[in-house]
Amino acid sequence: MTSRFVLSRRAALRGAAGVAGAAALGAPALAQANKKVVVGTWGGDYSRLLAKNIETPILIPKGWEVVKDEAQDPARRAKVLAEKSLRRGTTDIQALSANNMYDMNEAGTLEPIDYSKIPNAANLLPEMKYAWGLGHIYSGKVILYNPKLIATPPTTFADTLDPKHGNKLGIIDIQYQYTMMAASLASGGAMNNFEPGKARLLECRKAGVRIYPTNEALAQGLKNEEIGLCIMWKARAVQWQNAGIPVQTVAAKEGVPLFVSGMCIPKNAPNKDGSYAYLDAMLTPSAQEAFAIDMGYNPTVKNAKVAADVQKRIGFDEEEQARLKDLDYGYLSSNDSAFKEWWDKSFKG
Amino acid sequence: MNPLRPLLRAERDNVMAVVTATTTDAAASARLIAAEERGGARLTAASLVTPATVLVAIGLLIPLVILFRYSLNEFVAQRKLMVEAVTVANYVKFFTDPYYVNILVRTLRVSVTVTVICLVLGFPLAYVLARTQSRFKNLLIMLVVLPLFVGNAVRAAGWMTLFGSKGAINATLMGLGVITTPIEIMYTETAVIIGIAAVNLPFMVLSLQSVIEGISRDVEEAAFSLGAHPVAMFRRVLWPLALPGVLAGTILTFILGMNAYATPVLLGGPKFQMMGPLVYGQFAGVNNWPFGAAISFILMTATLLLTVAANVIVQRRYKR
Repeated sequence: MTSRFVLSRRAALRGAAGVAGAAALGAPALAQANKKVVVGTWGGDYSRLLAKNIETPILIPKGWEVVKDEAQDPARRAKVLAEKSLRRGTTDIQALSANNMYDMNEAGTLEPIDYSKIPNAANLLPEMKYAWGLGHIYSGKVILYNPKLIATPPTTFADTLDPKHGNKLGIIDIQYQYTMMAASLASGGAMNNFEPGKARLLECRKAGVRIYPTNEALAQGLKNEEIGLCIMWKARAVQWQNAGIPVQTVAAKEGVPLFVSGMCIPKNAPNKDGSYAYLDAMLTPSAQEAFAIDMGYNPTVKNAKVAADVQKRIGFDEEEQARLKDLDYGYLSSNDSAFKEWWDKSFKG
Repeated sequence: MNPLRPLLRAERDNVMAVVTATTTDAAASARLIAAEERGGARLTAASLVTPATVLVAIGLLIPLVILFRYSLNEFVAQRKLMVEAVTVANYVKFFTDPYYVNILVRTLRVSVTVTVICLVLGFPLAYVLARTQSRFKNLLIMLVVLPLFVGNAVRAAGWMTLFGSKGAINATLMGLGVITTPIEIMYTETAVIIGIAAVNLPFMVLSLQSVIEGISRDVEEAAFSLGAHPVAMFRRVLWPLALPGVLAGTILTFILGMNAYATPVLLGGPKFQMMGPLVYGQFAGVNNWPFGAAISFILMTATLLLTVAANVIVQRRYKR
């Protein structure tokens, strides 16, 4: 009897301590719960710069806690889709390219944006304002070449995606959409008709074009002079130039396909106030200016001031701006599976 | 009659004892349970088995059932959505398209090649490890396991620095004047085979070493004393006795080869496809879950069938 009494007293004490402890720990946690934003993003530089330019200077001083869910976008998109039926998802923000945001919205996973909750969006460029997300930064697809290896600078996508370059031409596997787009523009196609470019790509393949799995692997190929030219975002070219890779950029005569990296809110985001706070912070001019300097992407707000020398390297002059081509998101989305299948089976296979 | 036969039979029984250690363990636990039952704790067995069973059921069987159900669904390519249906179209698509069949054949080819390489390289190493009297034996075993201390991706990154067109191999050969243009090693099947073999070798060596250790040195010496050539001794004594280890090692290596992901992606490059990366690509890249699920089941079935077949063949030979 005695031992039973002792045990139950201890149990009672432990229980009481547990309740008190949970209360002590839980109370602030509950109070802070609505100040936590979970951001799904690519890792590496982009995530680091989000912290440096948006989170640390703007959100954290206001009491926000930012948690990153870092992964490549296919994995994050798959996750959002898998969570679609859940009442509460796991992320408040997803960083995706404009065409991926379009896809995710088509799949019914994105929250319609209430622009009245984003004061800084008053300065957002109209073409970066989607019903389901916002452009964060943008650049364009340009030609990159190493003057040491390519004597005559290419001026068009047709000059670049040309079998005559053999294995000095590099292509990035994960950028099959933009590559097919550029090949199509080079062969008389359009932003909503990629068919004419296919024959050109197959000829390049036959001539020995090098296919790299990622942007980084291609950068390595440029650096060790395995390849002499490729097509890439101008922003990346700036980063690579900064890293000592000797490449020059040319805005192709056929046009400069836009690349917009944006942010959107999953429908089941657990903290939508946090989502809006993040979107507003991301459009702050100081954050946008810092991204231009650090990453070579153009600001998406009109009130960001970029120094003339930086602007010259990352931006597009008036003539080039006239050639900027927005993507046909509907065409890309509805044909993406077919493009990927052609790319894997016919081009790479 | 082979004068060695009684000795061999006794040795085989010894090896069987080692190989069936798990059975013995099971028998021991059965005795333990019986003793406990006598003590009145009848629920002990159930309480010991339940947690693992529940874990396997929740973590493996339920997802497998869901995955199989997905594999019978349809995929609307224009909207990248899965639609509920009951169709075998995904399986038909796989087996009627030479592109996918080739990927399965390539995966099988790579896995078998890797397994053979591991067996050929691993057997002598395992033999030395099993027979050595050195006081550094444990250290040697640690050295064999050392490659497993780093992840596949990290190890593949190491190979990349060796295989690149300006990597260590090409730089050395060019520096020595053996070649004038770099050899293409990266993004080839050879690179993938080397990479996976390096990952799998420790599994083969450890499986073989534990079984060879259980084979008495006396039977080898008996064979030699009866005038057997080392090759004959290996073929008629060592190899048959080591078969259970060979089987365990080849099965492990083969399964790991069939399911390799990081190595083919990193060393094989975009043009080299194997089943593991193909499954990932379908799920994460094009969001085609039904087809991805079907490919998963095809991969799993192919691996299982071949493993069971190898097991049956070896067991049959072992009984002779």
